[in-house]
Amino acid sequence: MNEQRKDILDMLAEGKITAEEAEQLIAALERDQPPAASSLDVRPKGKAKYLRVMVDALENDEPTRVNVRVPLQLLRAGVRLAALIPPQALGKANAELSKSGVPFDLTQLKPEQLEALVEHLDEMTVEVDAPDAKVRVFCE
Amino acid sequence: MMPQLVTVRVKRPDRRPIRIWVPVLPVVLVLSPVVVLAVLGGAVACLVYSVSVVQALGTGWRIVSALPGTWLDVEQGRTAVLVTIR
Repeated sequence: MNEQRKDILDMLAEGKITAEEAEQLIAALERDQPPAASSLDVRPKGKAKYLRVMVDALENDEPTRVNVRVPLQLLRAGVRLAALIPPQALGKANAELSKSGVPFDLTQLKPEQLEALVEHLDEMTVEVDAPDAKVRVFCE
Repeated sequence: MMPQLVTVRVKRPDRRPIRIWVPVLPVVLVLSPVVVLAVLGGAVACLVYSVSVVQALGTGWRIVSALPGTWLDVEQGRTAVLVTIR
């Protein structure tokens, strides 16, 4: 309990203010409460709606531009597809990954984990700045 | 919500740009026999691979209904392709 709230409750206990006044003061106190230390923590979840991929490059001396906007809802729906992959297919994919030098067990990847990943995508920005190409991945 | 309109625009050098608007619902209605066959085929595939048909249909619908807002724009030199789903 913070100090100001305790003072209000003390004043109420001593009969200096009525219960209604105490309620109003606490409500005012909560309104004036400063945001939490990290602004990211208070950012509403699901604010971003789209994943944007922008590429500006020079290919064969011609300017190439790619601009893709994918709804995050589509990613969330796609993630649910992972739950539908038959175990035998995951086993085959694991074997191929191992053969390619990526010892990754796809059966350990749970849909909830993927959903959490998509959920936190709006906090991500990737920028690649090369002499002949510029890539930017972000959420908006 | 299901996609309503798909727009495709293709620009090619020395040719007239092509612009196509595809109203999704009428097209789906016209192709409904094919859609029904595709859904049946998908259901059979689900049964063969021991995947829940209901879950698969639900996920498929979620994907289709999440498509509006998708935008794909690729441009190289004087050639460009733009696909939007609304």
